[in-house]
Amino acid sequence: MHKGKRVPLKEQGKHLFIVPVIVWLLVFTIFPLLYTLYLSFHGSRFLQVTKFVGLGNYINVLSDYRFWNAFRVTITFVIFSVILTVGLGLLLALLFNRQMKGVQVFRTICTTPLFTASVALGYMFMIILYEEGGPVNNFLQALGANTIPWLSHPRWALISVLIADMWQWTPFAFLVLLAALQAAPRDLYEAASLDSASGWEIFRHITLPLISPTLGTVIILRTVEAFKVFDLPFALTNGGPGLATRTLTFNVYTNGLRDQDLGSATATAVILLLMVLAVSQVFFRRYGSNYD
Amino acid sequence: MSKLFKKSIFWGLVIVLLFSLSLVVFAQEEMSELEKKTADEVFAKADKGQPDPAWEGKKFTIAVLASGPHGAISGSLYFWRPYWEQLTGATYDIAEIPFGELQAKIFTDLATGMGNYDCLIGPSFFYGDYIANDWIIPVDKYFEDPRMPKWDRESIALPIRELLQWGEHWYGFNNDHDGMVLYYRKDLFNDPQWQAQFKEEYGYDFPVSPTTWQEVLDIAKFFNGKDWNGDGKTDFGITMHLKVGEQGFFNYIALAGSFVCMPAPGDDPTKVTRYHNMFWFDPETMDPLINTPGHVKALEVLTELTKAGPAAMVGWGLGEAWDVFLRGNAAMCFTFGDVGTLSQDPRVSVIQGKLGVAPIPGSKEVYDLESKQWVTLEEPNLVGNKCGASWHGVISSYAEEPDMVAHFLSWQATPEINHWNVAWGWTGIDPGTTYDFLEPVGTAKIEDYTTTGYNAEDITQFLDAYHTMWFEYPRSVPYLRIAGAADYIESLDIHMSEALTGQATPQQAWDRAAQDWNRITDQLGREEQKEFYKEAIGYSGE
Amino acid sequence: MRKKRKWTNIILWIVIAVAMIWMLFPFYWAVITSVKKPADVFRLSFIPFVQFQPTLENWRSELQMRGQEIGRGLKNSLIIGVCSAVISLCIGSLAGYGLARYKYHRVRNRDITMWILSQRFLPPAAVVIPFFLIFKNLGLIDSVVSLVLINATFGIPFAVLVTRDAFRDLPEEIEESALVDGCSRFQVFSRIALPLAAPALVAAGIICFAFAWNEFLFAFIMSYSKAVPMTVLIAGTQDTQGIQFWYVATRMLMAVVPPTILALTVQRYIVQGLTFGAVKG
Repeated sequence: MHKGKRVPLKEQGKHLFIVPVIVWLLVFTIFPLLYTLYLSFHGSRFLQVTKFVGLGNYINVLSDYRFWNAFRVTITFVIFSVILTVGLGLLLALLFNRQMKGVQVFRTICTTPLFTASVALGYMFMIILYEEGGPVNNFLQALGANTIPWLSHPRWALISVLIADMWQWTPFAFLVLLAALQAAPRDLYEAASLDSASGWEIFRHITLPLISPTLGTVIILRTVEAFKVFDLPFALTNGGPGLATRTLTFNVYTNGLRDQDLGSATATAVILLLMVLAVSQVFFRRYGSNYD
Repeated sequence: MSKLFKKSIFWGLVIVLLFSLSLVVFAQEEMSELEKKTADEVFAKADKGQPDPAWEGKKFTIAVLASGPHGAISGSLYFWRPYWEQLTGATYDIAEIPFGELQAKIFTDLATGMGNYDCLIGPSFFYGDYIANDWIIPVDKYFEDPRMPKWDRESIALPIRELLQWGEHWYGFNNDHDGMVLYYRKDLFNDPQWQAQFKEEYGYDFPVSPTTWQEVLDIAKFFNGKDWNGDGKTDFGITMHLKVGEQGFFNYIALAGSFVCMPAPGDDPTKVTRYHNMFWFDPETMDPLINTPGHVKALEVLTELTKAGPAAMVGWGLGEAWDVFLRGNAAMCFTFGDVGTLSQDPRVSVIQGKLGVAPIPGSKEVYDLESKQWVTLEEPNLVGNKCGASWHGVISSYAEEPDMVAHFLSWQATPEINHWNVAWGWTGIDPGTTYDFLEPVGTAKIEDYTTTGYNAEDITQFLDAYHTMWFEYPRSVPYLRIAGAADYIESLDIHMSEALTGQATPQQAWDRAAQDWNRITDQLGREEQKEFYKEAIGYSGE
Repeated sequence: MRKKRKWTNIILWIVIAVAMIWMLFPFYWAVITSVKKPADVFRLSFIPFVQFQPTLENWRSELQMRGQEIGRGLKNSLIIGVCSAVISLCIGSLAGYGLARYKYHRVRNRDITMWILSQRFLPPAAVVIPFFLIFKNLGLIDSVVSLVLINATFGIPFAVLVTRDAFRDLPEEIEESALVDGCSRFQVFSRIALPLAAPALVAAGIICFAFAWNEFLFAFIMSYSKAVPMTVLIAGTQDTQGIQFWYVATRMLMAVVPPTILALTVQRYIVQGLTFGAVKG
């Protein structure tokens, strides 16, 4: 009926929807990003830019063993955190994607970890994992097992941070994946179970493809957040023992805001940014078609 | 059914909220009667100066660490505010800053010129950056100013007095006085049964007041792993707070002083020469001294000492470390003055009356930087320390009414008010002037302390230990106050943690620290740092 | 068949039980820590009255002496959380719809999405100072406004991605028939698509709110006294004598209550949205 008008019906309002986000992001993120880049090429002390050093900051950062240590810590953390939180979240979402009493309550309870400030969580886990008199170690002792040096051993300290992170972010994956599962049409499931297909087959051939885009979103979001983890190691172990739980963002923070060395901080941040961009490129190559 | 459940949760939460509000409504008097009475007396006696009438109605802002209205360091600001308002007609805002973020917040405020804070009550290791950037003003001019209350600069223990000055000028006002000492259970140490057993195992008489680190190590190993308080669980030798960022580095500094600071030959052993009484850097080249044999040996001793306590303490902050000692499960505790106060509080301590306090021990072996050899002395090399923040007020260059701020700080520094702050432990202000120490070495009376809840014997031990360390030890470890001090210290802290948790040997750890220190020095400008350092430690070139 | 279902149910309930314990344990611990005397905090005790003497002293001290401050902290956190989530959702759902329904040509959809997502890549610690300088020049330091704007910016990527997925799953026929009927695209969006995607919107909103609620770094740098939210107050429990875990517990609990109430009220909306969708479809 409206054929022949200037803009085809389907295309109406196309730019209306996308313009607000573009404008907002340009205004609020371009300048800080450019300024960060600028700072990374200069020396600075106490927020005063001192002199142009070209790649000097980058060379300093890349030849500092502390950077590579933080690199290793961050990568380890990212891999385990994503696998654990998304995996668990998916399992829980699958389990709870059914009509049953108590699901609502459980869902509400599941949202509460999201609202606990990471700093508070870190401090709380300090007492929970307190080795001398905390509940976890005492529980282990009661079971007859050895106590674990949660916060005083380099490897266990990282595991402690992972545990706290998992506690806090599994609900995120759970919520989003559950919403995705429930948005999917129910008749597909019914048809499949009538066909007496096994649970695993249903999952592989129906569920997984259906939620694949959302799953991809959750994975990439979790990955990006995990790369930037800071509050938890800061509160729980303060980067210790030694450098065992110091992530790259931790380095950015101490360099930039404690030591007031913005040059190294921004250089580290830019390197981190490039790393994350690289990872997401891999992701987008695989799943990119979903975003067209 | 789930709807009912949800409803009940909802209303449950509402009830909780209402209950909490009701607690607020039924307010109680916070200040105890005795506090008020003694404070009134002290207020009447203390020198009030002559407040300038121009100050009436004005306000300034103090930046201080966030401990709340009845907590350490910030508490006294809240407490004395009504008195000062009455005295001058002016008032102040208290901007509390979380402890871990003091540096970020204060330095950002000063560096960006925002000048939100007129008065900074911060730790003494900020001075390097303060002075290098002209962020605070010298206060010598106020000493003769008739408007200012008079306070007694000479009465402050010399190590702390040095922290209030830089070069020839004064910048700070008397307030807190921090240092580390060795706390122990005097009931254990004086027990003949344990003394006999110790002699059997170690072959010499039990040193009731240990004077060397070797003795401390033996005692710690002796008591560690035994159940000496009869509760069925094994107890520990010593406890320390060694988590990264929890001030364990101060333990190292206090310990290392006696291994590294070689007394100067000749008449004046306190003279600062290139090789004597040096701790941090070589003043001629600004090379770090952290990986010299003296420091490495000190770290080895600390690593040994760490094994004589709970394994978890490498991840402990102040609260956890002190708790083990306060609840009676550790024989010794090596830390600041807070334990003295906390040991008297029955809410957290079971050891009131059993507290022994010894000034920091020394070492008979000292490394001589000049001859590059170890030297064995007859008497232990006793080097005191002023480890800790020694929180005190300085005036920001951005303050609009610096004189007014100076009046307040001078007033808090007066002997009467400062001593009152010291006597009431909750203020977190530790003794450090002759007004705080007991007769005959000072002017305080034991009643000052027993009326506020201290056990007479415990507090006597406590005060004696500090007095000995600050007035009778010939020297103290120089405090690091150059620009970037926090960076150097952070590097020390991290690598120390690596050594203590076995991720590196002491030599490796300190080599890495030396590498970091060189990097920091070069970044800040080696020549400037060198001159700065010389000024900070009073080195005139020899 | 019946046996299989019985086993599945049993396993299900076991998993639920374990998950509940896991989820609730830290809260339980926070509750008992908040009623323990400081000395008891380091000593193991699970059950109040039986193993330790509970005290209301911590709560009383917090609510009386710090009550005003804490009230203001909660208020600030709420304002920041809600306002920034709303902004993120508004802008984000618009963009999500656009990306789901249109093919853009000058810049491909996937590149736009990539760019939006990349806003979350940069560590906040690096951009904090530039933000600080901008807002200082605008006179917005220590103001809730600056924190709302910043958190909204960080929430947008979530909103865009989650809503985009939801919109894509919606069948296009309903919308197309509405368009043919004469509705504008925007009306289709607001009257048809949004309600149908309600669960996703709510989920995205909760997530944006959660991120803003938990945000520490910017909150700390940008606020001095008036705009201080709860996260900064929690960090403020560390003083010269160490971290005061009993106050951390009280503040953490206080900080958790308002969002939980919010989530509870919103849960109903999720349920409504679902049944509404079922009836419609």
